Amino acid sequence: MKKKKMLLSAETMDISFVRKVEALSGTSVRRCFQCGKCSAGCPMATFMEHPPNRVVRLLQLGQWRRILEGRSIWYCASCETCSTRCPNKVHLASIMDALRKLSWDAEGPSKESYVQLANKLFLQNIRTYGRQYEMRLAAVFNVKSGQFLKDLMLGPKLITKGKLKVFHQKNKNMTEIEKIFSRIEAMRENGEAL
Amino acid sequence: MTPKNILKYAYYPGCSLHASAGEYDLSTRELFKKLNIGLTEVPDWFCCGATPAHNVDELLSLSLCAKNLELAEQVDGDLAVACAACFSRLKTTQHVLGENAVKRKQVEKAIDAPVPLSGNVKHLLDILARDLGLERLEQAVAKPLSGLKVACYYGCLLTRPNDVPNLDCVEAPTIMEDVLKAVGAETVAWSHRLECCGANFTLSRPGVVIQLSHAILDSAKAAGADCIMVACPLCHGNLDIRQKEIEGVYNALYAMPVFYITQLVGLAAGLGADKLGLDALIVNPMPLLKEKGLV
Repeated sequence: MKKKKMLLSAETMDISFVRKVEALSGTSVRRCFQCGKCSAGCPMATFMEHPPNRVVRLLQLGQWRRILEGRSIWYCASCETCSTRCPNKVHLASIMDALRKLSWDAEGPSKESYVQLANKLFLQNIRTYGRQYEMRLAAVFNVKSGQFLKDLMLGPKLITKGKLKVFHQKNKNMTEIEKIFSRIEAMRENGEAL
Repeated sequence: MTPKNILKYAYYPGCSLHASAGEYDLSTRELFKKLNIGLTEVPDWFCCGATPAHNVDELLSLSLCAKNLELAEQVDGDLAVACAACFSRLKTTQHVLGENAVKRKQVEKAIDAPVPLSGNVKHLLDILARDLGLERLEQAVAKPLSGLKVACYYGCLLTRPNDVPNLDCVEAPTIMEDVLKAVGAETVAWSHRLECCGANFTLSRPGVVIQLSHAILDSAKAAGADCIMVACPLCHGNLDIRQKEIEGVYNALYAMPVFYITQLVGLAAGLGADKLGLDALIVNPMPLLKEKGLV
C-alpha cells in the first residue's frame, strides 16, 4: 500500500468520531500502550493492511478515515483473542464491532464488499424467516457477488448428506421478529439509540 | 430445587442444527435421552444473530438474544446450547445487559419485555462434565473409546472472552479432554486447539478458511491424532466439508474425520451409528471406527 504522509493537527485529528467508537464499544482506546499482543495473536492479521494494534493507534490519533477506507475491520473474524489477551482491558473486538457499525451506517468507502454482502444477506434472512436458511444464503450470495460457480462442487454432496435443505425452516412467529427490527429502527430515528 | 439426579433443560439448538448440522442435533437428542437428561426445545426460537448481527449492529444482536432468553423462560430448567456461537452470543448478551443499564433499557424497548438475566446459559459440554459429572458419565460408558486418539478442538467462542463468566480457563481449557478421557479415549496435546478456523468467512472469503483450517488440520495430524472433535457447527463445516478442498490446495492427505462431541460420547454410551448421524459426515469415519473396533 502506498504510504500517505500523516500530518497531525487539530484539523486532521477527528476525535469526535473516536468518542463515538468508545461510546458504542464501551471501551477506551486511550488505555492502549501498543504492546502488540492483539496483533501477535490475531489469526487474521496477515490479511489486514492495518493489524489490530495499529487500528487502535490510528484511533488514538484520530485518523479513523484510514481505517474505514481499508479492509482491516471486515477481515476481523470476531474470535476475540485480542480482547482476551489485552493487558489493559481494551476490548478490541467491541471496537471492531463499533467501527464496522459506523462504516456500515455511513455506507462507507471500504474496499471489502464480499463480507458486507454476506452480512447483509444474513440479516435479511433473519428478518424474513426468523432463522437462517443456509442454502438460500449461499445461493443468493453467489448470484449477487457474481461468483456463480463458487463452491458448486460442494452442493450435490451436501444435499445427499442432508446438509442443505431444499425446504427451509421458518419461524412461526414472524410478527415478533419484524417488531424487533422496526422498533430498533424507530428508536434510531428518534435518536434514542445509536 | 430439583433433586440432583433429575436433570432437565430448555434446549436452544440454533439454526445450523436444524440445517447443515442435523447430525449434531440428532446425536445430542439421542445421547441426552440415553443419559436420562431431559431436553425440551424452546418454542419458536429465533436466530441469535450470530457474528453478522453483532458485527454491524450490536443493538440488534443483543435484542435477538434477549428475545431468545425471554422465550426460554417458558421452559423449565437452565438453557442448554449446542452451538458455540449461539452460546457465546447468549452469554455475552446476559453479561453486557447486566452491566450496562442504558443498553438494557434500549433492548427492553426493542423486545417490549424485561430481559431475564438470572437464568443459566450452559453449553452441552458444561452439562456433561459438571451437571451430570464425569463420574456418572464414566458409569454410562458401554463401549470405551480405547485406542482412539482425539484432537480436541475448542475454536474461538467456547471459552472467550474472559470477562464473561466462562466455560473453562480461557487460554488452557481442559473440559473437552476431561469428557473424552472419562469415556476412555486418548487425547493428544497439540498447538491449534484454540486457533480460529476462519468461521463465517466460509461464505464471503473461503480462501481465508482454507488457509486457517489447513493449519489446524496440519497441527492435529502432526500431533498424531486419528480424528478431531468439535463442539461448533461452523468449525465442523470448515474442517469437515472443506477438508477435501484444503487437501487439494496444499497437496496433502489428512482423511481426518471430524466428530461432534455428542457423537463420540454417544458412541461410547453404546448408541449405534444411525442414531448419531455418522453417515452425514463428509470425511467418512467408518474405516477409522472399524479399525479401532468401535462399530
